[in-house]
Amino acid sequence: MRQYDRVFVVVERELRTLVRSRMAVAVALAFFAVVVGLGGASMGSPGGYVSLTYDLLLPVELLVPVVAFAYVYRSVRGDDERGELDVIRTYDVSRLDYVLGVFVGRSLFLVVVVLVSLGVAGVVASLGAESTVTFFATHTAGDTPLVYARFVLFATAYALVAAAVALSVSAATRTKREALAASIAALVVLAVGLDLSLVTLVSMDVVNADGIAVFNGLSPASAFRGLVLEVAIRPALADSPSVATAAPAVSAIGLLGWLVAGLGSATLAVWPDTSQ
Amino acid sequence: MSDSEDSDAPAALTATDASFGYPGVTILDAASVELQAGDLTALVGPNGSGKTTVLELFAGLRALDAGTVTRPPASDRAVAYLPQRPGFRSGFDAREALGFYADLVDADVDPDALLARVGLGEFADRRVEALSGGMVRLLGIAQALVGDPPVVALDEPTSGLDPDLADHIFDVAEDIVADDRVVLLTSHDLAAIEARADRVLLLSGGEFVLDGAPDSVLDATGAETLRQAFSVAVTGESRAAVGQPAPTGGDD
Repeated sequence: MRQYDRVFVVVERELRTLVRSRMAVAVALAFFAVVVGLGGASMGSPGGYVSLTYDLLLPVELLVPVVAFAYVYRSVRGDDERGELDVIRTYDVSRLDYVLGVFVGRSLFLVVVVLVSLGVAGVVASLGAESTVTFFATHTAGDTPLVYARFVLFATAYALVAAAVALSVSAATRTKREALAASIAALVVLAVGLDLSLVTLVSMDVVNADGIAVFNGLSPASAFRGLVLEVAIRPALADSPSVATAAPAVSAIGLLGWLVAGLGSATLAVWPDTSQ
Repeated sequence: MSDSEDSDAPAALTATDASFGYPGVTILDAASVELQAGDLTALVGPNGSGKTTVLELFAGLRALDAGTVTRPPASDRAVAYLPQRPGFRSGFDAREALGFYADLVDADVDPDALLARVGLGEFADRRVEALSGGMVRLLGIAQALVGDPPVVALDEPTSGLDPDLADHIFDVAEDIVADDRVVLLTSHDLAAIEARADRVLLLSGGEFVLDGAPDSVLDATGAETLRQAFSVAVTGESRAAVGQPAPTGGDD
């Protein structure tokens, strides 16, 4: 059996777990209702997709990590508390196989929830548009579906990063209660803590105001926000702001770094390496 | 230390000069033992002596501080392990729960056949959360047979079960020993061990203070029952003589 076969076996188990979980379905429906509801509120807005993207930016920034943690924080911890982690270790399954399987399986469900919710919100918002938008964005002006498509793409990447961090929390904690507490703490840190730290550093002149755009990329939430503002929305604005809110390259690298760090720490923490 | 799965090793599990401890507690102190295939070996000892830890060390779930554990060669799995309180994900039926593990090995495994072997054939479609505690243990034992491992480690498979179900689990354990496997189980059910086990290891103070067939252990201690032999070996006096109950539980 090849390594990826074992990964897929774990992926299938995780997917089945979430599909059959009433909690997972309830969380998906709640997220869908909020996002599509906001999309409905934007129906017919003269701002079109730019307006919709602005409307959804903050809710998605806050809710996507909550949904990701809800789907992931009990994954490894539950297997450990039931003794299944010890049982799985007696098979030819490496720590990386298991962590990748859990991540891909849980993330697939999460990504579908995010894509469907944002997709339906986009369709709903466009239903009231006075004229069909048929042109692509350029650097001069224009509201196009491409603005929203980029937003959805970045939201998906942000969801994957949140899932990776949630997985590392699940792997590093020892009880479900500990995992829940650590997840809440991680959510607060990711959603507001890192941004507040940056503001504090700026106010103390530790970080130059000109460097905010770069430092924004180091926090997942602000990296996501920066990518949306700079790469999705800015090209569609007729009058672009003179000051960049984020450095897109740093933001992309920042998100990738959090993803790798989350999965890497989860792999190291999921069980001790006893092969010597 | 090193754990190894030497392809030239005999069909036995061998611990050599094995040492392990927690801060202030010695679980194994340069202990050596060889467990033979075809033997149902029972690991007994007082609460807190470290039986579960020894099982985990032999299964490769923990690394020794010093010494070696050598396991028989295997194509899929060298060791199967049943934890003391096994569990399976809710929302899955027994067949699906077992099917997940079956998919992790190269061999074609028929979950229904394994369920039938442990007496759960008619419960294959039942959700795991609807299985009784004894049925979950049996499902765990069925899982332990996936991949035909040469060593099966069962941690207190009968604790908290009614006598009939406990007897059934010992029947299953004897059945899988007949496949020429090393089967090592921990238990406080000394009467059942005396009647069923081929070999008894009594762990106390980091050493296997008694080791042999139940009859040999009785001869060596001068006790009439394994229950008395346990007390003599652990406390130096026979508690059975004053009618004290045998230790129960599994908090180690």
